[in-house]
Amino acid sequence: MTSLLIILLLLAGAYLVAVLEAWIANGRLRFATPVLAGIAMLGRESIVPRQPDRIFFETAPVLLLISAILGAMVLPLTPDLITTDLATGALFINAALVYVLVALLMAGWGPDGAYAMIGGWRFLGQLIAYAMLIVMPITAVAMRAESLLTTQIVVSQAGLWNIVYQPLGFGLFFVAAMALAFLPPFDLATANSELASGVEAEYSGVRLAVFRLARLTLVMTLAAATVVFYLGGWQGPWLPPWAWSGLKILAVTAAMLLAGRLMPRIREADLMAWGWMLGIPLALLNIFLVGVLVLVWP
Amino acid sequence: MTTQAFFIGFFGLAAVWFGVVVFRTHSMMRSALALLFSQTALGAMFLGMQAEFLGVLQIMMMATEMSIMAIFMVMFMMDPGGLGEMEMTHQKRLSLVAGFVAFTGAAAVAVLFDWGPVVSVAPDAAQQTADLGLELLGRSMLIFETAGITILTAMIAATAVAILPIEAKTTTNEY
Repeated sequence: MTSLLIILLLLAGAYLVAVLEAWIANGRLRFATPVLAGIAMLGRESIVPRQPDRIFFETAPVLLLISAILGAMVLPLTPDLITTDLATGALFINAALVYVLVALLMAGWGPDGAYAMIGGWRFLGQLIAYAMLIVMPITAVAMRAESLLTTQIVVSQAGLWNIVYQPLGFGLFFVAAMALAFLPPFDLATANSELASGVEAEYSGVRLAVFRLARLTLVMTLAAATVVFYLGGWQGPWLPPWAWSGLKILAVTAAMLLAGRLMPRIREADLMAWGWMLGIPLALLNIFLVGVLVLVWP
Repeated sequence: MTTQAFFIGFFGLAAVWFGVVVFRTHSMMRSALALLFSQTALGAMFLGMQAEFLGVLQIMMMATEMSIMAIFMVMFMMDPGGLGEMEMTHQKRLSLVAGFVAFTGAAAVAVLFDWGPVVSVAPDAAQQTADLGLELLGRSMLIFETAGITILTAMIAATAVAILPIEAKTTTNEY
């Protein structure tokens, strides 16, 4: 029952992300557009390119969606509203979201198209840049909570949210989460202007609809993860827990979309260099600082 | 218990099947991802055996590793798309013997080794994670750290080998 509720909430969230994305991109706040666009997409022919790797081509959008939904399954929206409070929750979300890469590689290789393939391999390079910046800040979060349970991580922030306790980790995680969701300026895999939508290029109709939905869900999952790990999850005064979770998730989503809007697309080589030469040392420093802090001021 | 045994068996068979697919396909990409799903099925077997941390870790690590392997297979194989029907197996007699010896060895260890009393109820997942952490940073620390440093050394060495020597880059156009 909880799973169903969470999936419905994710769907609603994906719709809100679509509205927000359009609002931020072209300044028009229209609530019907995502629904109409979705219906239009379902009505269009879903073309299968010539000589595709059929298994990969068909699996990719579904795998992307499953990966995003599985990631959301271990994130608590209220103390009780969580599908499964795994003892390895903070690790599990990484395991689920790594399959975003597998899905994009499949989507890149499957359709037998040059743009798609470049997009897919680009995302592999992107993963090499962002992966450590997802895992290492979560390590520091788990260190403070002394647990991998996501509910325990929220509870550990009762006195002080992690965004204040470990701001460096928050900054790194936020940027890495944007890269994981291939949001601008990290949309190297889809890059409209240079790759003609990259991994999405050969998809159309219902398959593209699933792909887009999966991407929106992924943004939602990552925003929820940021809230759980750094913004105190459901905690807050006056309002009920679910409202706080919802508001914070929407705020994080808006921040992610807005941040991407203000920056030019990053180059693959720059992303890699910054990830490894700046990001990873900072992430290690963050782990060290949090380690010291946990000892002197838990 | 029977449900548990069923799932362990199911994922075990899936792991073997995907392992077979690795060599049956001609496409490097399919081969790499089949190996990934074989390893993921192993992770699912761990989950079936109530070793949650190990299972999740296996499922996470393999996705990245096999994807990176995929790009190397595509880069270095002469027929990555498998359109030329490249033969995926080689040194068949040696492989058969090696596979047989390895399987017999592993099976013999599994059957003949005295594993001691089996715990009837597995400790809960949080306890297992804590125990594993203490084990890795306690009794097994030397092994763990040695393995880690060995891998790191290999990575640095491989990168160093892959980089063009500075003098070659600046003086000649041979490359």
